[in-house]
Amino acid sequence: MSEQVAFQHIEKTSLIGKRIKKPDAPAKAMGKTRYINDMVLPQMLYGKILHAGRPHAEIISIDTSEAENLAGVHLVITAKDTPELRLGFVKDNAPLKDRVRCERDEVAAVAAESEAIAAAAIKLIKVDYKDLPGVFTVEDSQKKDAPVIQEHFPDNKSLKFEFKHGDLAEAEAKSDIILDDVFNVHLVTHCCMGTSCAIADFDHNGKLTIYSQTQYPYNYKMDLAPALGIDAGDIRVIQPPTGGSFGAKLDVYPFEPVAAILAQKTGRPVKILFDREEEFINSPTRQPASMHLRSGCTSDGILTFRAADVVMDNGAYTSWGATVPVIMMRTTSGHYRVPVVDFKGQAYYTNNSYAGSFRGYGNVQMTYATAQHMDMFAERLAKDHDLDPIEFRLKNAQKSGEVTPQKSYLRECALAECLTTAAEASDYVAKLNKYAAEREQKGRYKHGIGLASSIHNAGGAKIHKSDGCGTILKMDDYARVTVITGASEIGQGIDAVIGQIVAEELGVPPEHVTLVNNDSDLGPWDVGVHASRTTFIAGNGARRAAIKAKKQILAAASKQANVTAEELDLRGGYVVQDKDGAVVTRLDKMLRQMHFQPEPDVVMVSDYYEPNSEPEGRDHISDHSAAYSHAVHIAEVVVDTLTGEVKVEKVTMAQDVGRVINRMGLEAQMEGGLAFGLGFALSEEMIFEEGRLKNPNFRDYKVPTAPEMPDLDIHFIESDCEEGPYGAKGIAELPTIVIAPAIANAVYNATGIRFFNPPMTPEKVARAIWEKKNS
Amino acid sequence: MSEIEKYIAPEEVAEAVEALGTGGVTIVAGGTDLTPQINEGRCHYEPTLMNIQRIEELNRISLTDGEIRIGCLATVSEIWYNDIIIEHADILCQTANCFASDQIRNAATIGGNICNASPAGDMIIPLLVLGASVELASWKEGAMEIRREPLDKFFKGPGKTIRNENELLVAVIFDKPSADFIGQFRKSGPRPALEISTVTVGIGGDLKDGKLENVRVAFGAVGPTPLRGKATEVALEGQILTEDIISNAAAAAQKDASPIDDIRATTWYRNHLIAVFTEELLNNVC
Repeated sequence: MSEQVAFQHIEKTSLIGKRIKKPDAPAKAMGKTRYINDMVLPQMLYGKILHAGRPHAEIISIDTSEAENLAGVHLVITAKDTPELRLGFVKDNAPLKDRVRCERDEVAAVAAESEAIAAAAIKLIKVDYKDLPGVFTVEDSQKKDAPVIQEHFPDNKSLKFEFKHGDLAEAEAKSDIILDDVFNVHLVTHCCMGTSCAIADFDHNGKLTIYSQTQYPYNYKMDLAPALGIDAGDIRVIQPPTGGSFGAKLDVYPFEPVAAILAQKTGRPVKILFDREEEFINSPTRQPASMHLRSGCTSDGILTFRAADVVMDNGAYTSWGATVPVIMMRTTSGHYRVPVVDFKGQAYYTNNSYAGSFRGYGNVQMTYATAQHMDMFAERLAKDHDLDPIEFRLKNAQKSGEVTPQKSYLRECALAECLTTAAEASDYVAKLNKYAAEREQKGRYKHGIGLASSIHNAGGAKIHKSDGCGTILKMDDYARVTVITGASEIGQGIDAVIGQIVAEELGVPPEHVTLVNNDSDLGPWDVGVHASRTTFIAGNGARRAAIKAKKQILAAASKQANVTAEELDLRGGYVVQDKDGAVVTRLDKMLRQMHFQPEPDVVMVSDYYEPNSEPEGRDHISDHSAAYSHAVHIAEVVVDTLTGEVKVEKVTMAQDVGRVINRMGLEAQMEGGLAFGLGFALSEEMIFEEGRLKNPNFRDYKVPTAPEMPDLDIHFIESDCEEGPYGAKGIAELPTIVIAPAIANAVYNATGIRFFNPPMTPEKVARAIWEKKNS
Repeated sequence: MSEIEKYIAPEEVAEAVEALGTGGVTIVAGGTDLTPQINEGRCHYEPTLMNIQRIEELNRISLTDGEIRIGCLATVSEIWYNDIIIEHADILCQTANCFASDQIRNAATIGGNICNASPAGDMIIPLLVLGASVELASWKEGAMEIRREPLDKFFKGPGKTIRNENELLVAVIFDKPSADFIGQFRKSGPRPALEISTVTVGIGGDLKDGKLENVRVAFGAVGPTPLRGKATEVALEGQILTEDIISNAAAAAQKDASPIDDIRATTWYRNHLIAVFTEELLNNVC
């Protein structure tokens, strides 16, 4: 920068709400990024796992001798080599199995010189199985004589959840309309572009370095340690660039300890990388559920109660999937004002695959039910009581300051504004009535419009003892900033947001901020990337650290300029007078002056931000998030009534984002989140037959392609969250949660048929229309 | 694990056909079917891998003496953008538009699509509608011998054809359609790209004075091979396309087809779509 600027004035500007480029985007777009999948370490061996490929069996014997004798094979291990090692939410899982409980079960593993040798060795392992009768539905799992899947759970019952509030009988008596339906949400999976991968490497002191795609590196150590029989303190987690997580990497899965055990026993780094078929079969899914929902409402359009009885297929092991009722019940009790709530959730062990976390965590499932019931009420009330469908929803929409039965405190609530904004922008009511009137007229193609909304935690979710995040910030002699944060970057964009926030506070360009967040030996603690929490929690932490640094600099500058620190500001790489922006000195010069003096004053600050939320607790009555947010989606569809194809033409989205931080990142989250929900609603489905996945490929598991994306009309509602950074709320899950029921409601508007069992595939829709016509 | 012992890349047809005569050869052209099938373990490499992409002669598209000839190496994209095809056989362009994705269209060859003999092979349907034949070249006593077989006799079952292992499919040939020819193609699936057909329908014929003549109908993914819709052809031949004739044809189409249940669709849906698409295509024409 030239010295001429020294006589200028620098205006106060803000980066908040601007479009900030994601720092790693060019490298990713150009194919230069070295993902974990690309990594090769010196002396590295390739690990490969033998999966059972059958749903339920005893293992009579395993003969590994031929595999061991293959040239290039270093080691073959089975459950005999890993006794007592456990993993999983209730420690019902093991790295290698001595009995088969589902198709994906890990029976043996090989470490070899090359991928090809490892693959060949796997084929040489001879396993003698005795197949057992399998349990493939929750109904069969509950039968008296059902085979027992986990010996510690003889009745096949896994996790159970309950929440009750108010007098259900009284509420039912007060209800003029009661809806009673069963919704069955299907199995889908994350389909991360980067398939699962881990590289494990032990040093001579017995310390493990694991290169991992995990999205929760600090608790990951705690979960991985018992699966290896080592101390969590002896694990270092390095997170190279990863090709997506979306919740799939929020637990430890068997391939990770298997890679580590192979590395430990061979003394060499070992890499396990799934191919796409392995990825489909051996990755967590979204939790499927059968949701029996009863909802009541008065003829004035006031909700009276919701009762939900949720039954879940736990699969063979318990990961985070079976815990989703924690959020399902928040939706049941908090998606609109629900005075009386009765929620039950029970998971049953089966011989199917098992679910993990997945973007939307329980809310994708529950909102599919609650938002359709709201639409069914709206239709009845409009028809019988002349109540406008938006007015009905506004009557039941909470307002700022309300508290839900589970004690979620809705400090800033913008549901009403989301509803009116989206309804007006899309001309919702007029179209709804027009399309309903056209439904019974002639014509192959039918238009429909559908509205759905939901609530989600937007200030973290305190399911652990802390929901905090640590930040360390330092500045060098050139006014470059390094931020070491606990927050992981898994593609969601915290790299851009932290750069932006720190740049905002310190008056430097965002590209002068370097983020260090991929090494658990460097970073301070963080819960992980989940619950739409990172911008809120890590953003707050980074901002607080930057403010501390700024104070330190301004205190030093105030001495030099002989003014108070309050009269100074940092702008455009300069220390300036706050009132008129008159330049005092260059920031880098100031930092050097602070540094090179008899009593050096170097900028190195730290912060641990803990949100003001309460732990979830066993009774589920707590303000478990520091903020809550709402979104409304209005989908416009065209249904081909002959082929059953549903084309989503346009979606109007209104979401309470608190405050826009990085507008470009926010838009991308809306688009990407919606794409997930679109696939869930219309085309994606894991097809299992007797516990075996029949479509482990992108040919038959249909993720939406780019041309299927609808036009989006996105409205950001800024409710200015008091606790959030600059007013921001967490945003990433709602776009996935709300779209599917909006499409289902639109398809109903077009066809008069309700789809309670997604996905709404062409065949399912065509058949329902054909049956209705021919009944 | 099968090992490739030798790789050859001839530049002349005769050279390729001679090599094929020695046996133990896997032919690779676009590789868009071969590679995934090898990876899935559905087929294995023979000791010799022969890349035929360097044989320039085999990717030509020509019109000579009323006959259109498409060399086996013509890619789906090349067919789509070829002037002769655009002018005389638009139904191939309609199909190319629905075929896989841009990247796959740029690599996948017409010869490969035919020889892969998938019941759902998209490009086969319009070729059946055009009454195409294939040329199979083999090496006999020091010289190349060519036989010509009608395409509707070529397929024997999923992945199975009458082509012998020592034969190279060098071209697909059909008579230049008349000026009155209309051809229509329809493929199921809401995805604009990368959809494996659950049902495909092709209908072609000469539309003269409101009557449809020389009708050919073909269906994909509703039987063990791509098939001609003989009953549908009878229902349409020489007819004016009234509402009744169209619904007769749709009913005949369901008789022609013998679909199965699989993970992509049920028999019910395939039968349903066959009728829907047949009606749709005929309505497009009249």
